[in-house]
Amino acid sequence: MEKFFKNIKKYYKYAIRSAKAELKSEVADSYLNWLWWIIEPFCFMLIYVFVFGVVFHNNTPYFASFVFIGLTCWDFFNRMINGSVKLITNNRDLVTKVYIPKYILLLAKSFTYLFKMGISLVITFGLMIFQGVPLSWHIIFIIPIIAILYVLTFGAGMILMNFGVTINDLSNFTSILLRMVFYLSGVFYNINERLHGKIKFFLLRINPIAFIMNELRKVLLQNRFPSFVGLTFWLCVGIILCAIGIHMIHKNENSYAKVI
Amino acid sequence: MKTESKNTKTKKITVTVKDLYISYRGLKKTSIRASIGKLKSKVEVFEALKGVSFEVEEGKILGIIGKNGSGKSTMLRAIAGIFSPDKGTIDLHGNSVSLLSIGVGFNRKLTGKENIYLSGMLLGFSEEQIKAKEKEIIDFADIGDFINRPVKTYSSGMYSKLAFAITAILETDIMLIDEVLSVGDTRFKEKSYNKMKELISDTHRTVLIVSHSLDTIKNLCDEVLWLNDGEIIDIGKPEDIIPKYVEFMNK
Repeated sequence: MEKFFKNIKKYYKYAIRSAKAELKSEVADSYLNWLWWIIEPFCFMLIYVFVFGVVFHNNTPYFASFVFIGLTCWDFFNRMINGSVKLITNNRDLVTKVYIPKYILLLAKSFTYLFKMGISLVITFGLMIFQGVPLSWHIIFIIPIIAILYVLTFGAGMILMNFGVTINDLSNFTSILLRMVFYLSGVFYNINERLHGKIKFFLLRINPIAFIMNELRKVLLQNRFPSFVGLTFWLCVGIILCAIGIHMIHKNENSYAKVI
Repeated sequence: MKTESKNTKTKKITVTVKDLYISYRGLKKTSIRASIGKLKSKVEVFEALKGVSFEVEEGKILGIIGKNGSGKSTMLRAIAGIFSPDKGTIDLHGNSVSLLSIGVGFNRKLTGKENIYLSGMLLGFSEEQIKAKEKEIIDFADIGDFINRPVKTYSSGMYSKLAFAITAILETDIMLIDEVLSVGDTRFKEKSYNKMKELISDTHRTVLIVSHSLDTIKNLCDEVLWLNDGEIIDIGKPEDIIPKYVEFMNK
């Protein structure tokens, strides 16, 4: 653990720079440039609002904001999981030529995704104001909620990154799993309204993304307190995942270069 | 012997490799199906290094020779910390080390200047250290205005010039060189060869060079280590080892 923090301290500046570089290069030669970071999530939101709000007659209050919060949260999770599976193989050049603690690669990636999530959140607030959502001080709870989401996905990401090196077809598996989680997380429907009884009970407890989305909506749209018991529980799970991930990477990282 | 080397400053050991074993086995690529079956198939073990031990003194230049696949590059990478040894130890006595490699961590869409920082920080230097050397690197690379343009617009020569400049100017205590680099046009080649000579003849810098060019080894190195199939055949003065090696290769 001590080694982990020492490495983070030594390399976080590199991670930030590398994240900046990646963001810059992403928009370097596209026509609309950084506007894509806004246009893309916004258009997806419009699609979902049309399909599920208009076609399927969803009358959840502030449906556009509701969907957008879900998408913000989902995009971050989805990108992290997808990104981590092939992270080492995609950085083959780097991994075989210099020593760098491998979670720094994930850290750098996560910064780019955090940045995009930040943009997404700004749009969310804009949308909420546009829709006339009554704002209250409960909004500040998004900070701990997002922090917990980050710890959870970072831990899971490290573990997947480790197995992604040796298991070639892990990405096939994760893409199916991610699709399943996507539909079971209530990005575009309200689990509380649509599902009842045991399914609802379990979905909001077993699926961390559904839980976190639900908590975000509670503090943003309904001016309610989040579930502190639930948040503490998932924070603990996240820390355990991180500990396992760090341990795995420390144990195996020197052999990665041999495999790829 | 160790206590002796501490007392007399002239004989400081910077690299100690002891009984080094490295095999390509530990992790193996597999698929989900294969791991569910858990068939204990015979994993092919390739032993790249079989019990290599040697020491290098501070300021010395060690050349490593051997035919292809004899474990030279593997050894350098192990010393650089990219691999961990399966058995045995590598002790660098707290010195910083870098494997001279071209264009690590370059992002092709960014400018040369930005890539200097990216690459340098990846090699373990701090932002301030790079800032201090930035001008020197740009001057040495000598690619003019291209330094402010995206790397993808570079010709392959310019690319290697910049990459070489970064690794050559940002120096470490121990330098590992895999194949002496010959990049760029004739003028730059000469310049880089001279720079390389200047770098490695620094009395505090320990250098390990892998090369197939026996001339280079003869000209630059104080000592030569001959590897064959993962084992040390001989180690000693270039003038003693090289004739034996040539004879062996011609057999």
